[in-house]
Amino acid sequence: MAVSPLISRSPSATASSSNAAMKLKKVATQSSLNGPEIAPSPLSMQNSDRELTEQLNDDVRHKYIKDKKLGEGTYAVVFLGHLRSEPSSFVAIKKIKVNAEYKDGLSMDAIREVKYLQELAHPNIIALHDVFSSKDKNLSLVLEYLPLGDLEMLIKDANIHYGVADIKAWMGMLTRGVWFCHENFVLHRDIKPNNLLIASDGEVKLADFGLARSFADPYLNMTHQVITRWYRPPELLYGARQYSGVVDVWSIGMVFAELILRVPFVAGSSDLDQISKICEAFGTPTEANWPGVTKLPNYLAPDNNHMVPLQGREFFLRQFPTVGAVGADLLMSMCALDPRKRSSACQILQHGWWLTEPKPTNKENLPRKSGGTKKMGDDLTRRGGEVDDTPFKNAARQLDFNAMR
Amino acid sequence: MPPSRESISNRGDDDEVCPVCKSSRYLNPDMRFLINPECYHKMCESCVDRIFSGGPANCPVAGCHKTLRKARFRKQTFEDIGVEREVDIRRRVMQVLNRREEEFDSKRAYDDFLEQREEIIANLVHGTDVAKTEGDLQRYASENMRSIRANQALEAREASSFQEQQTHEQELARLRRQAAREEYENERREILAGREDVLSRLAAGKPADAATIAREGHKVLLKKSSARRSEEERIRQKQAALRNSDSRKAGATAVDRTTESRDSGFIKGLKRIKTPEPEKPYDPFGGLVPNKRDYYTLRDSYPSSYLDPIRQDTRMQAGGYNLQEYYSRTLMEAFAGLGCFVDEEVARRDGAISKPNATEV
Repeated sequence: MAVSPLISRSPSATASSSNAAMKLKKVATQSSLNGPEIAPSPLSMQNSDRELTEQLNDDVRHKYIKDKKLGEGTYAVVFLGHLRSEPSSFVAIKKIKVNAEYKDGLSMDAIREVKYLQELAHPNIIALHDVFSSKDKNLSLVLEYLPLGDLEMLIKDANIHYGVADIKAWMGMLTRGVWFCHENFVLHRDIKPNNLLIASDGEVKLADFGLARSFADPYLNMTHQVITRWYRPPELLYGARQYSGVVDVWSIGMVFAELILRVPFVAGSSDLDQISKICEAFGTPTEANWPGVTKLPNYLAPDNNHMVPLQGREFFLRQFPTVGAVGADLLMSMCALDPRKRSSACQILQHGWWLTEPKPTNKENLPRKSGGTKKMGDDLTRRGGEVDDTPFKNAARQLDFNAMR
Repeated sequence: MPPSRESISNRGDDDEVCPVCKSSRYLNPDMRFLINPECYHKMCESCVDRIFSGGPANCPVAGCHKTLRKARFRKQTFEDIGVEREVDIRRRVMQVLNRREEEFDSKRAYDDFLEQREEIIANLVHGTDVAKTEGDLQRYASENMRSIRANQALEAREASSFQEQQTHEQELARLRRQAAREEYENERREILAGREDVLSRLAAGKPADAATIAREGHKVLLKKSSARRSEEERIRQKQAALRNSDSRKAGATAVDRTTESRDSGFIKGLKRIKTPEPEKPYDPFGGLVPNKRDYYTLRDSYPSSYLDPIRQDTRMQAGGYNLQEYYSRTLMEAFAGLGCFVDEEVARRDGAISKPNATEV
């Protein structure tokens, strides 16, 4: 797929009027084209002897105004902001904290996020409008403002009712986003409901690329300590160092199951527990159903008198009756234990389920919930792979007992 | 200074002769004049009875050959027959062209519609292009029968609900006034009773207690009035809440109505086009084409001694490492950017931006 590298970086106005958006675009491009020489900001006028990069950085920084803090975590602070020239165009400004762990530079998460997000422009991936640094050498990412919270919020709220059509619409948007990442050889590696943010028009957007990386390099080891545990595929739990795009597909499958059941499907309390839960649910991996599994670094021989046979179609149909036979078949193809048998994101989108009744809900009519701004703040401040289900999630961040588990 | 009252009544006196039978008000004090919106010729009630009781007949005024029916005769509202006629025309046109603002895409479209309507009315009033305008109006009426009906019903409903609200408010105001009056009465009565009580106690008690009794009496009164005041406050709050909920309900129904009216069929001219939505089939890929390769085809396998160990490595295979992905990435990166002309895209983007710019400025 030949994708043009030219990305329009201007945040679109939240006001629906196309005129405003057009004007905004105009302003944005003018300021970026004119550069510091033609339209110097007052600050760059003062010290004209400074380096060009600094001037450019200041110009970008002065394009935006921070309004209020949306959330704060160990890793980042998120502010609501807007374009100086267009007060109706909201953006989220994610300011990465200077971390004690990375005295000599930036944290990996921030670098990954910038590196991959600036490459990807797709309706189902959060847009990175600009990057700038501030006086204290902090990095700030100007991200698309997604005010309607995330999928986790909708799943957990018992007052919100949704049906198969809504699930299909959400899954479609999620899978399209992941497919686009994979098509450009970026692994997300942290797909879970609270990284799926919802834009004001109902579009689901893949966010938090703090664990993303490119893939398919031969002989290059990748870490297996990625993806939030409940959404981690068995090959990563078994410590595989070379894996492919289908690790994200497993996570998509888990999100799918969670959307249907409204509780996480396999929620292990530790990595070992997660393996045993997966074995119970989908079947015990053996050399027969997953050739070579025993050679994986962290493979654990299962208890011989507690072998669960590989689950067939009937199991999925029984567990997830609401999505019908075709939907259960799709879910089964996402949850294959052997990564070679698992569907790729592209194959998922080619599946017949999307064309069966009911038709996916239009994004404007999807269930929504207010109060998502705070949620976005929380979601964007989380470090990749971190779960914030602990009871004291906003208290005493310094005492991080999670790491000791 | 406006024309004096006398001059108007004088002119009225001149008119007080029926142009048909020439009888005057002097002879017939109960004489009433009627007009027919066909020709607006004035005549007295007895003439109407006399001429048109036997069915439709020609207008008796010389030179007017309109056929009139008795049922259409009515009293004149405005003294000026021209105004009367314009009001009638306006009413008729408004009844047909009764689109509402919420049915239009924009304020502009609605304004255009209003202007168009005024033009039609003016045409009919001043007799320009009457046949064509009438034809247009007729055609529109027959084509949009249903939406016209719907809007008429809506208007009627709105009017009645407004009336209802008005009477409701009046009722509330009346209740409030009554409560205030009662309260005032109660207070007065209590003061009197308290004073009497104090007096009787003073009469019965010793002279030394007089001061304390008077103080007590005063205190009791104060207590009572403060209790009453808090009671009133509570009632008032309740009423306010009630009123709020009422108005909210009214608001909700208003919203319902607007969505309802959107359903009515679409219309001529600049009117809002009701999105017909040609139900596109769902595209799981969102408009992008999967596996689109412009400059190369991907083979299943490429011989390479560099990659051979991977093909044999069960551990890598079991982890899901996929050489297909490597092939496709390598080829994509080799060909990436071919066919992308950034300067052209920039020019196109700037062109798209500067075009509306030019019209705006």
